[in-house]
Amino acid sequence: MLSVIRGGRVVDPTASRDSVGDVWIEDGRVVDPPGREPDAVIDAAGCVVMAGGVEVHSHIAGGNVITSRLLLPDLYVSEAAPDGHPFAHAGGAAAWIGATYARMGYTTAVEPAMPPTHALGTQLELADIPLLDRGALTVMGNDDQLLQLLRERQGGDAVRDLVALSVAQSRGLGVKCINAGGASAFKDGALRLSLDDEIPCYGLSTRQIMGSLLDAVEEIGVPHPLHVHCNNLGLPGADDSFMATLDAAEGRRIHFAHAQFYAYGAVDPANPGTGGFRSAAERIAQAIADNPNATLDIGQVVFGQTVTVSLDILRQFAGRKGAKPKKWVLNAGDAEGGGVVPFLYRPRGPTSSLQWAIGLEIMLLSTDPERTILTTDHPNGGPFTQYPRIIHLLMDKSERDREIATLPGVVGERSSLPGLEREYTLSEIAQLTRSGPAKLLGLADRGHLRAGARADVAVYRDDSDRTAMFTAAKLVLKDGVPIVEDGEVVEWRTGRTLSLTVEADKAMAKRADTYLTERFGEGLDSFAVPDAAFGEGVFEEVACRA
Amino acid sequence: MAAWVKGGATDADAAIEAAASLLAKARAPVIAGLSADVAAIRGAFDLAGRIGASVDTAGSVGTYAELGALSRSGALTTTPAEAVGRADVVLVVGAAAWQDPLLKRLIDANPTRGRAAGSERALLAVGANATASLSWAAEGGLPEAVGLLSAHARGHLAGDALPGQIAARLAAARYGVLLYDPAELGEAGVEMLQGLAMALCETTRCFTLAVNGAGQDRAVVPVSAWLTGQAPRSGFGRRVPEHDPWRFDAARQVAAGEVDAVLWLASVPVARPDWLSAVPSVALVSDAEAQSAEVVVAVGRPGHDHGGVLWNEQRAALTFRPAAAPSDLPSAASVLRALKERLAKSRPASRSDSAC
Repeated sequence: MLSVIRGGRVVDPTASRDSVGDVWIEDGRVVDPPGREPDAVIDAAGCVVMAGGVEVHSHIAGGNVITSRLLLPDLYVSEAAPDGHPFAHAGGAAAWIGATYARMGYTTAVEPAMPPTHALGTQLELADIPLLDRGALTVMGNDDQLLQLLRERQGGDAVRDLVALSVAQSRGLGVKCINAGGASAFKDGALRLSLDDEIPCYGLSTRQIMGSLLDAVEEIGVPHPLHVHCNNLGLPGADDSFMATLDAAEGRRIHFAHAQFYAYGAVDPANPGTGGFRSAAERIAQAIADNPNATLDIGQVVFGQTVTVSLDILRQFAGRKGAKPKKWVLNAGDAEGGGVVPFLYRPRGPTSSLQWAIGLEIMLLSTDPERTILTTDHPNGGPFTQYPRIIHLLMDKSERDREIATLPGVVGERSSLPGLEREYTLSEIAQLTRSGPAKLLGLADRGHLRAGARADVAVYRDDSDRTAMFTAAKLVLKDGVPIVEDGEVVEWRTGRTLSLTVEADKAMAKRADTYLTERFGEGLDSFAVPDAAFGEGVFEEVACRA
Repeated sequence: MAAWVKGGATDADAAIEAAASLLAKARAPVIAGLSADVAAIRGAFDLAGRIGASVDTAGSVGTYAELGALSRSGALTTTPAEAVGRADVVLVVGAAAWQDPLLKRLIDANPTRGRAAGSERALLAVGANATASLSWAAEGGLPEAVGLLSAHARGHLAGDALPGQIAARLAAARYGVLLYDPAELGEAGVEMLQGLAMALCETTRCFTLAVNGAGQDRAVVPVSAWLTGQAPRSGFGRRVPEHDPWRFDAARQVAAGEVDAVLWLASVPVARPDWLSAVPSVALVSDAEAQSAEVVVAVGRPGHDHGGVLWNEQRAALTFRPAAAPSDLPSAASVLRALKERLAKSRPASRSDSAC
């Protein structure tokens, strides 16, 4: 079927397109104008037409997310939600996640933290998120098997083979390391870890572990660069950890997760623990401008109650004293484990206000929005449902000023936000939320509207109230099929899970089988994510880089 | 293929038809047991959502002791493989955990990973007549004993008696593990045990580890959490999942006369509760007998007759188990799907339709 979205303002920065025009769709793909009459015409007059949004870092599945629901049964309780699916109105449920993203015009979302030991559970959960295409990043960097290889200096090929095997087994879309070595160090009594500190029992450092993973990802040809959660998240002086990690990448491709949480310069460098922090957004933004090999996502903070979930158990253990309400879960698991700590970003509190300002500052100082991706690190900085509000603040200086006027003076004293005049254009918003994340994940047929693109399209009513505009799209197409109309889900479609096609080395598989059997009493088979555990056609293969 | 209606043998189709009509008439149905693979657990929730049933599990006594404590004060936990690989001190709380297969693995080997690698593993006991480095009968009761240990660990009590010695031994451990059965320890005891681990972690590393309970509750909890946003014991009568451990306790509901039909799901065999015979019931079970319920459908056992995702105790994770001896018995998931299709015609599908 040939259809056309007619007369909308088409915003596609990858084609330098921001003008009124048409988007033609046939068989689930965007096509060039074919010179024949369409079978269907979608009137988009007065609307903005963009590619479907792409999410690179949102905790939407896995053990920590499950634990957060059990720890805080009351966090998401809501009866106001879409109809037509038995669970979509259950806040925080998989169907709610799919529906809420889809209503905002998002069509792809990636869970950034899938431990290989729990790959099957995470993948089953992802597969139950309707409407979206999904994917997950395989987490490595704290497991004894990898650390043993490195301790015994078995060489880059062995590390590459183990990484390839882990991605293939877990059916990940990329590789992530989370405070590499930190969880292991925590179990051996450590309370903090920096890039070159020695990890007990292994004689290794984060620099060595991360460096070996950076190499492995390049050698395998994983399209998404290594996704890095640095040491010292959230501490005054964390900007030094960020910079040291960037240096340690030595020009190799690297993605920094939730950079806002590292843009904290120590006010008193001699006593970083007591003097508080000031914005290091300029330093971080400059570093990204100077290093085209690097990308980041923001981890924007929004005010209100949330829950922090992380496999960085070293950090989460340290954060337990700040839990609000006062309860927390920490699991010393088979590699990272996990930590779940409820948190309140106090509305108009000085610390949370500064955090809020720093995230916006990084985006407003960015010289390249395609490498500065909008996330809240859901739910760590706040829920992803706040994206429309954040977009509004980026696009509207007077709206920012109104909000800043309600906040404590520290926002102006310790960040440059009040003086920033920049207003994001729609094209830049599309870079931040579409073309940037799609390029970062290596998904060439997403994030744009050129011929050949998947027909994942969001149509918004052009409204100066950008919050309203981006909260409920007028129309969302997934693979050319309308899934949302006037902000409501109209077709409960099942998406696919994107997984990387990786060849696993047979000799490494045999070694891993022996190792796992010794440690778990069961071998590689028990870690599998087989098609038989899912319905038909759940997975879609993504090729490695040539 | 075996199926019975009111004790009389029939085929699966006729039994499914009878089950559908029994459930269609029900105003307050319950789906219980859920001792099954993930596909069937999902199917049970799906059916419950469509017909407005409530859901409860076979192992809910232990599951609730854990979940109640978790939602009130949190938890500090580890896994079986980490306990075996790293623990230099294991405190076994109560008698039940001694029966768990993990005990043998802990006794047979010493820690091999982390800072306790190479040391001798010490076993300590509270509330059991067991051979251990330190064994305290704790005749005053388990929760009270854990409370005393916790008071010693926090420095609120001092002394050389057994509780003081055990607390000191845990404080000196490099990787301590507190092994327990939540069904035996109870909710208050679990909460205090978590407090003990948290107190010990201020100066060293100490984590709790619960042994597996009956049925597939460890699989049901995550599936319920991702499907409904909530832990099980939930009800769908209002077309919105409502989590309420007291209201949707199947045994309580039956005793109070609040239930007019039960679907018992146990493709992984588990003891059937006494209350099942008190209400009109459908049983989807792999150890089927004519008298199991008013309507009985014999279903395949996952991992035996057909492949399925089950809780893997050793790995503390969901694992796919292929069919060990494939048979033509229907899977519980396929029977639940057939029931849903039949019942969808007679029940409203969404909130905007009337539920009454």
